Amino acid sequence: MQGLLDFSAGPLFRLTFFIMVLGLARILILDIWGAVDAYRKAGDKTIDWGTATRKTIKWLIPIKSVFTHKPFYSIFSISFHVGLILVPIFLLAHVRLWETAIGFGWLSLPKTWADILTLVAIIAGAGIIIGRIASSNLRFLSRKQDYLWPLLLIIPFVTGYICSNMAVSPATYQLSKLIHILSGELIFVLIPFTKITHCVIMPLSQFIMMIAWKFPAHVDDDICTTLNKKGEPV
Amino acid sequence: MRTEAITPEEHGRAFAPTKKPEVIEQQKLDVRYHVEDFNVADRPKRFLEAFAAILKHSNYRFALEHFIRMTTKCAKCAVECPIYQATNDPHDIPCHRSELLLSVYRRHFTLAGSLKGKLFGTGHLTDDMIEEMADSFWNCTACRRCTNECPVGIDHALITHLGRYILSEIGIAPRALVVSVREQLEGATGNTSAIPLPALLDTLEFLEEDMKEEKGIDIKFPLDVEGCDYLFIPAVSDFLMEAETLMGVAAVMKATGASWTIGTQYFDGINYGLFYSDRMLERIIRKLVSEAERLKAKNILIGECGHASRSAKYFVPTHCGGKDAIPVINIMEYTRDMLRNGKLKLNPNTITETVTYHDPCNIARQGWVVDQPREIIRAFCTNFVEMTPNRENNICCGGGGGTVSIDEIRPYRTSVGGKAKADQIRATGAKYVIAPCANCKKQIRELLEDQKIDCELIGLHDLIYNAVIFDESTKSIDTKSQKG
Repeated sequence: MQGLLDFSAGPLFRLTFFIMVLGLARILILDIWGAVDAYRKAGDKTIDWGTATRKTIKWLIPIKSVFTHKPFYSIFSISFHVGLILVPIFLLAHVRLWETAIGFGWLSLPKTWADILTLVAIIAGAGIIIGRIASSNLRFLSRKQDYLWPLLLIIPFVTGYICSNMAVSPATYQLSKLIHILSGELIFVLIPFTKITHCVIMPLSQFIMMIAWKFPAHVDDDICTTLNKKGEPV
Repeated sequence: MRTEAITPEEHGRAFAPTKKPEVIEQQKLDVRYHVEDFNVADRPKRFLEAFAAILKHSNYRFALEHFIRMTTKCAKCAVECPIYQATNDPHDIPCHRSELLLSVYRRHFTLAGSLKGKLFGTGHLTDDMIEEMADSFWNCTACRRCTNECPVGIDHALITHLGRYILSEIGIAPRALVVSVREQLEGATGNTSAIPLPALLDTLEFLEEDMKEEKGIDIKFPLDVEGCDYLFIPAVSDFLMEAETLMGVAAVMKATGASWTIGTQYFDGINYGLFYSDRMLERIIRKLVSEAERLKAKNILIGECGHASRSAKYFVPTHCGGKDAIPVINIMEYTRDMLRNGKLKLNPNTITETVTYHDPCNIARQGWVVDQPREIIRAFCTNFVEMTPNRENNICCGGGGGTVSIDEIRPYRTSVGGKAKADQIRATGAKYVIAPCANCKKQIRELLEDQKIDCELIGLHDLIYNAVIFDESTKSIDTKSQKG
């Protein structure tokens, strides 16, 4: 067991983390490259950067949506995201691990806060899954990954909470820790290939929407030629 | 805003097919909209060819790539969609509508999608999927409310716009729109309402006489004056159906001593290309700009019409010169500016009845023309009430996206598309609902009639006509531009 734990926390962690970083970097670069290329080809290059920035901030900090439509969904979703982002990065135990590995760390959350946020993330995640199953609209729209993602995402939180807060037998502790690490690594590997890529490209959305409406000039002729429709009546 | 779903009877009436069963059988496309005749064989292949050609020459690909990575299926857009709110049918959720096209893109135009498809032999485009897309994309009124409220930023409106464009390339587009655009671009009259020039001239002369009688002064529609500040282009249907709006505009221009003209070679602001084909959009924009160039106009002034304003404002620069393109403004921007600089004076007590204002989606959604009309209305109406929601978050009249021109779907437009708008208007208890858009005017008029709402639809400049105060100095002004 200890060997497996060491392997998971060592080489496997490095590999999966590397895959995630590389995968996300690829997506981010492709996305920005696509937008820059489209902007270059656009006939009209006036973009309201201010509005796009304002809308981006509005959706990165979507507090207002709590007071408009679907308040329960919004509250659950926002608290889930807050937990997902803050706990893995700022948990004291994680920061210590980074310190050991790369020589420096950063600010960490007080233990009580980390525990509260962990529980919030677990409850919100469970709420999101239940909401998705209970709503006929969401059932209609959902793909498999839409149910599986919140489920997968709360596994490291549950196991992490067990390891740090519960008096369990050493065997259970080790098993929890292994599941904690492996599920986290599975998440790392899957992120760049699924909808969770929004963690890096979402801030680009409003800009992409604006640029996408800036069509290239003179495409009529080109499309007619490609589709062999030259000279055809309207 | 949550509204009650429509009743089963209304549903039946709204969704009744408009075509004969034998026609439906022949075309195998039970859409409620008229479509051009087409050969049903081989449609998926032609759809994909058109999709590929559009991707190759346009800017859509990068946006689709972004959207397929982002879509999270939260259904928040459902709350914003007036169509879904009326039908409660999950097929009307904007995210589902977008997925129809995104799934085709993912399967046929991405490496992972085609590998997966080939491996499992699934997911390829079928004729049934084309039918579903045709139905779904034309159920949407292109109001873009969903786009403003998508948490991850999926532009459902852009996807529907693209979907309609691809469908039109394989012959699936509402006949009413195609016929109008054909007349506009290739017909003898060169406009969507097929108004011959002599008839237009007669109409304008008649309106001038009317105004002379009513106001006691000469108010002209100057024609073909070169070098004017403003080339005025309304939706051409205004010449037939909204004469009062045009008289209001002429009165404002007279009172402010404007240098303006109407071109006799091209006088139609309508651009249905915005609703179904980027190629047509481009051709119509070029036609518009060539008239402005012929007359050496300094600005293009679009009349009371949402989509005409949006298509000109945002696509004249795209196709005709980028930042050096001729500026485009909406008539309400002009009137508000004149009000502010004191050139236009309105009698503040002209309208004392309750008045409400409908924001046309095409000029309000991006926050372009929202304050101007309100400022104008408050200058001459004593009792103005807002609808809720309004401005950028307004609700569509139900005839947006070109659907208002399809007469045979009126039951759908007034019981499904316009359900939420009808409730909004009813809630204000207003005597007048002002809608400064040719499409919204037609739709809301039908909506008020079918939903039996005691309220009158009117254009903004129709009301302004009664409020304009002509100075003695203005009356005697006979500028170069006024010498029609």
